[in-house]
Amino acid sequence: MTRISIDPITRLEGHGKIDIFLNDAGDVENCFLQIPELRGFEQFCVGRPAEEMPNLTSRICGVCPEAHHIAGTKALDDLFHVDPPPTAKKLREMFYNIFYATDHTTHFYALGGPDFIVGPDAPRLERNIVGVIGKVGMEIAGKVLKMRREGHDLIKMIGGRAVNPNWGLPGGVSKGINEEQRDIIVAKGKEAIEFAKFSLQAFADIVLANETYVGLITGGGYTHETYNMGTVDENNHVNFYDGKIRVTSPSGKELCKYDARDYKEHVAERVEEWSYLKFPYLKAVGWKGFVDGEDSGVYKASPLSRLNAADGMATPLAQEHYEKMYETLGGKPVHHTLATHWARLVELLYATERWVQLAEDPEITGTEYRVLPTEKPTVGTGCVEAPRGTLTHQYWTDDRGILTKVNLIVGTTNNNAPIHMSVKKAAQTVIKKGVVNDGLLNMVEMAFRAYDPCFGCATHTLPGQMPLEVVLRDPEGQVMRTFKQNL
Amino acid sequence: MTETTGKPGSTILIVGLGNPILTDDGVGPLVVEQLRPLLADRDDVVIKIDTHGGLRLMERLMGYRRAIIVDAMVSGAEPGTLFEVGPNDFPTAHSGSTHDATLPGALYVGRKLGGVLPADEDLRLVAVEANDIYTFGEGCTEAVLATVPRAVDLVLRLIQQAPGWGDPAGRLPDPEPSGQT
Repeated sequence: MTRISIDPITRLEGHGKIDIFLNDAGDVENCFLQIPELRGFEQFCVGRPAEEMPNLTSRICGVCPEAHHIAGTKALDDLFHVDPPPTAKKLREMFYNIFYATDHTTHFYALGGPDFIVGPDAPRLERNIVGVIGKVGMEIAGKVLKMRREGHDLIKMIGGRAVNPNWGLPGGVSKGINEEQRDIIVAKGKEAIEFAKFSLQAFADIVLANETYVGLITGGGYTHETYNMGTVDENNHVNFYDGKIRVTSPSGKELCKYDARDYKEHVAERVEEWSYLKFPYLKAVGWKGFVDGEDSGVYKASPLSRLNAADGMATPLAQEHYEKMYETLGGKPVHHTLATHWARLVELLYATERWVQLAEDPEITGTEYRVLPTEKPTVGTGCVEAPRGTLTHQYWTDDRGILTKVNLIVGTTNNNAPIHMSVKKAAQTVIKKGVVNDGLLNMVEMAFRAYDPCFGCATHTLPGQMPLEVVLRDPEGQVMRTFKQNL
Repeated sequence: MTETTGKPGSTILIVGLGNPILTDDGVGPLVVEQLRPLLADRDDVVIKIDTHGGLRLMERLMGYRRAIIVDAMVSGAEPGTLFEVGPNDFPTAHSGSTHDATLPGALYVGRKLGGVLPADEDLRLVAVEANDIYTFGEGCTEAVLATVPRAVDLVLRLIQQAPGWGDPAGRLPDPEPSGQT
């Protein structure tokens, strides 16, 4: 059997390796994605006071510390049996939407965007943010950086620090905002809405107007009919901060809708001996392997899944674009993995609109932003929609609030099985009879990148972008040809 | 972890880059914490700790004439080996997030946009080869920990040498044999 290794996957947080095994005919037989395990987080936490968790877990990941911070804070609410006042909940949700807008912006323009804006067949060295700028111009680059900078400034203003916020407390937050700060948040939010609209227009102009790209999105190589997961509000609209977790079937029917603390009744984790990461699946359907369909418990938790699992968006402009996306792609649900980029931009617009909605809420400047916990802690679960999927924290403590056990299901882990399936399918589509080149390999990586996976934490070691090596071997395992990039 | 706020007239930024709870990945923050008291009287120096690379790091560098980034490295060398390089000395170099841009790419974007950023020759990366960046834990492994004083000395030497920054061609020889404790 011939083996192709993509090691590691470039432009993704953490270090990964894809092994593609070819059969004697040179076609793809199987694919395995392997990720180095980050070890010992549970042991690291046990014995510490639970209230350290929002700050501690925010250091797990250098990409979305805010998601861990808010999930951890919500887990503390549950742990200490305390319900935060409305002002605290609104402040947290506003903060979280500002983070979302900043994160989705970065992903589209810097990580996922190069595949479409620069082009999937462009030379590898051009498929990065420098290539994007070359294509779209400096004016847009300036807008992207302005959006990021202002998002970070607001996150710092509200959450205390630009990185690793130290703001969430059981029962609320450590500080509120005043009228002057609210005015700034509203003004920046309105600009952010315009930026999100502009980004959707850019997507329409560059991607949707290009028949090749549309064909790529809707082509079979990037399509998987799985269950979809996402958090919804009381109207079954997408919500990033709070609500019930809803799962819909490949045909769009509701399978279940549950409170985060009941997640173990609905989700189980499959262990495969060749992978460090577990593979969550839906208990009610069962594990049937890495396969699509109504009978397979594999589910996705991504921007596209959130839109598929909901009945709509809670804000008017995002709802318009939600409808346009489904209209264009042939109705709901959409199973084209690459449409995740489009869904991410719809979510970007929603995040900016929700940010302004909350900032304009009269209660947002209230001074009642914390309730002191008075009950003994026991066990607590907190859940948010991280940009990369549903994020669940669960903590157990003794009577003194000292942690005895910790369990986390992070956003990307939800998508572990579908990522494997997408990589394999893309590889089968683009690698035929042993023919492989840089462009083809990028097509395989594109399937992976659409999920915006984030397996690492803040492993900012040099050199962060490791060399890419692809080794072709004959059925006896002898090296036939080696491809090297960045070496 | 506290941050030193910017002081008027500051021209040199030192960033300790890494995750303080991920064993050797925390070497950057550890080194700059040791530099704080040693540079307390230098009004022209600002010390910061960050976990983000790429665009975020570039944004962090804006407004400074010179910068030193202290980071962990995984190059296959002996754990504890001390490196000093420029941003372009590695074909693949970037101190940070593979989630957005390489450091050279981010610097390119920033400069194109008219941002005031250190020139390549005024940006030095001081890196310590890591032994373990996958286990959660406070504190570095022995070989990395033993290199911290040399990393501190190297940063101090670089600052004293400014504006020359030592050898602009790239890596300087280790002050001591690589990987020795």
